[in-house]
Amino acid sequence: MLLMRVTLPRKLSLGLCLLLALSAREISAQSYQGRELVKATLVADTSAIVPGKSFTVGLLLRMAPGWHTYWKFSGDAGLPTEIKWKLAPGWKADEIEWPIPLKTNDPGDIQTYGYQDEVLLMQEITPPPVIDDSVVKLAAEVNWLVCEKICIPGSANLQLELPKSTTSAAANTELFARYRRLLPQNWPGSNVATANWSRVGSALRLTVTSATIANYPSADFYPLPQGNTIVGHPKVQSRKSNEIVFRIPIESADKNLLSMQGLIVFAQRENGSDRVAWRLASPAIASAAGSAPARGTITFLFFGFLGGLILNLMPCVLPVISLKIFGFIQQAGQSRQKILRSGLAFIAGIFVWFIGLALLLIGLKAAGREITWAFQFTNAYFVLFMSVVVLVFALNLFGVFEISLPQTATRGLLGATERKGEAGSFFQGIFATILATPCTAPFLGTALGFAFSQSPAIILSMFLAIAAGMSAPYLLLCAQPAWLRFLPKPGPWMLHVKQFMGFLLLATLLFLLYVLGAQRGLEGAIWASSFLLMVSIACWMKGAFLSPTSSTRAKTIAGITMSILLLGSGVYFIGDKFNAAKIGPADSQLPGEWQAFTPERLQVELAQGHSVFVDFTAAWCLTCKFNEKSVLESAAVREAFQRHGVVKLKADWTSGDPAITKLLQQFGRPGVPLYVLYPGKSEEPIVFPELLTKSIILDKLENISPTVASQ
Amino acid sequence: MNTKTILTILGSLAATAVLAIDLPPVGSAAPDFSLPDAKGKPHSLSDYKGKYVVLEWFNPECPFVKKHYGGGNMQKLQEQYTGKGVVWLTIDSNAPGTEGNLSPEQAEKVANAWKTKQTALLLDPEGKAGRAYGAKNTPNMVIISPEGKIVYEGAIDSKATPNPGDIPSSTNYVKVALDESLSGKPVSNPTTKPYGCSVKYK
Repeated sequence: MLLMRVTLPRKLSLGLCLLLALSAREISAQSYQGRELVKATLVADTSAIVPGKSFTVGLLLRMAPGWHTYWKFSGDAGLPTEIKWKLAPGWKADEIEWPIPLKTNDPGDIQTYGYQDEVLLMQEITPPPVIDDSVVKLAAEVNWLVCEKICIPGSANLQLELPKSTTSAAANTELFARYRRLLPQNWPGSNVATANWSRVGSALRLTVTSATIANYPSADFYPLPQGNTIVGHPKVQSRKSNEIVFRIPIESADKNLLSMQGLIVFAQRENGSDRVAWRLASPAIASAAGSAPARGTITFLFFGFLGGLILNLMPCVLPVISLKIFGFIQQAGQSRQKILRSGLAFIAGIFVWFIGLALLLIGLKAAGREITWAFQFTNAYFVLFMSVVVLVFALNLFGVFEISLPQTATRGLLGATERKGEAGSFFQGIFATILATPCTAPFLGTALGFAFSQSPAIILSMFLAIAAGMSAPYLLLCAQPAWLRFLPKPGPWMLHVKQFMGFLLLATLLFLLYVLGAQRGLEGAIWASSFLLMVSIACWMKGAFLSPTSSTRAKTIAGITMSILLLGSGVYFIGDKFNAAKIGPADSQLPGEWQAFTPERLQVELAQGHSVFVDFTAAWCLTCKFNEKSVLESAAVREAFQRHGVVKLKADWTSGDPAITKLLQQFGRPGVPLYVLYPGKSEEPIVFPELLTKSIILDKLENISPTVASQ
Repeated sequence: MNTKTILTILGSLAATAVLAIDLPPVGSAAPDFSLPDAKGKPHSLSDYKGKYVVLEWFNPECPFVKKHYGGGNMQKLQEQYTGKGVVWLTIDSNAPGTEGNLSPEQAEKVANAWKTKQTALLLDPEGKAGRAYGAKNTPNMVIISPEGKIVYEGAIDSKATPNPGDIPSSTNYVKVALDESLSGKPVSNPTTKPYGCSVKYK
């Protein structure tokens, strides 16, 4: 309709400011194409100015029907109205008091805050104690943006004349009373209402507790972001009779932002004329400095401890842990002191690894890198290294060759190699912990997700808590060696158990090869296995020809052959073949109804009104595999997904895809697994626990509406 | 502690970590689109893989857009950076019947009259590209790296006013981000709050 005028570009900025009430006066009208859009007036709540006595002046904006001006925070579009006073020295103008605005939703998820029809923006003015003139002229330059479908900027130089007097009477009482009722109130005090802030990933969570909530069907949070903070659309996350929880997404990178100013707005219905609001100022600066409340930190540290404890039972740790138990069986008859020393060495190993990991992560974080749990498993060479270590250990347990570490069951030798026994325990501790990394045990994810967003001191404390949790059982056994009596007596059967442990390690190796396959394809796994074969032969040669009884000549030949074998196969199989192996299309095919996750696909499916379930997984994540097999791929769950028309996306983090890392962090998770159900574009996503059960999934699926509400 | 208790605690903890899908954040892959220019020739983002691409949401009726075109500020940026091999796509996502929606003829007319210098002025009356990027304002600026990642998202400059007089004293975020990107540096200020009119979606 307005398109013909687009060819008048240069004069536009001028041509549009059609109001042009450039001379100062009491009333200014902005008109556009012959229509009056905004009438601006200054009004006072007093008939006269008494020197030294504060009074209120209001900017009254009357908008044409359908047109609106904006609040202090305009939302996704628009601009707040500005008032620039031109006051004589000695005069003081307070801040604008903004009435509770109306919230508008436009197509494209555009949310704005403003006023329709009419608004009075009030400001307290304090005159000096002495005024010379008998008539005072108050002048202000006012700028606004008024929008309907289109937006037109307006401005005016306004003036208000008031006589000086020793007494004054109230003026414009009805108008001021009406708009004062619409002003937000101060926070009512902790006996009436409390507000609690927490940071959850990239969002703030605000919990308001008050009996007043029950009186109003509509409750909302209108944000007043400061500085460069970019705020998303606040939503009511949950609501009970006396408690309401808001989720406020933060789209800028203010990692330390822990709260926000704003209004809690109550009404019988949204934008109702009975709306009332409480003003929520930011809590004291102390809590905004980035440290979490002490109680929260301690709770999370406790979760870290629990997570560490549970790590002992995770399938990837069990083989090494069984070795340690084996060690304890051996020690059952020994002196308390020896047991204590060996146990402490093992615990030291656990702690050293976790402290080292914490320092590494703190360093990476300081260098501006994104940090995650189990990040080292996203590196194929780390996995390969682990495979070699596990294989060599297994061969040692089988008796193919001996390392002069705790290899014998006879007490005499153990006594002679006491020092070495401790070193062995220490490395067992480290080894157990390295193997623990692919298993994010329950509690750990939440605890680490919290810690990674905190200061280095808290990250370190968290890792110490996990280490303490993981070593707690051994510490207990060390402190109470009497309990070792419950373990069976040592004997020749131990040799068989030892060999059996070797098979457990081989099972771990299978798992590592599977990870390598997922990272480098079938070929990559084959080349890695070829190298492992050469390593095995080298180990066998060490056992066969490098024993203390072999001749020097035999030792030399065996040594040279072994070096050539390891070096040659390393260069050929790993440096060349494995390095070049890439995942082929056949390797990356997904089973069943699963589709590969990309942020765009998620957007597209949601835009089409589908519900979407995202499985954040990795080949090396055993918890993920367990959940997939026992829950996600079970007949009941598959059928339920199908019945509700849920699109299933798999986000594979095996090689550390940065887009997935980013999303994990938005959910406050340091790694996989993560399960999220997006019921629809306009609804909050549902996050599931790290250990899934069928009933949790089925319950949530029953609750999602078959037709997705759209705005 | 039995499993059920553990799961309940976990569930309530996990339920606090939720995410709203709003717009693709900086660092994520830029959604592809294919839109016609005034002559009906389709342009896809994927056509320009390997080059820096600027997306600019446009509405010739919007005073904030006019602020930057009226004095030639936007045209100057377009000329300067397309001269350095940057692809500049101006997109009109306003729905038919709303302010700023352009027919192909009107688009051509505006481009000629305003002497615009972008690579192409694209018409998105369905709002597909606009919604994919969560573009809410005109102007709304997005910069995409040669690898197809979003490296900047937000306002054209630092002063959120419709007044052209504010341009000389404001920091042009797009210029800063492009200069940093072209010299191989990371963008120092990758997300800002865009300002302007709302995009009039269908």
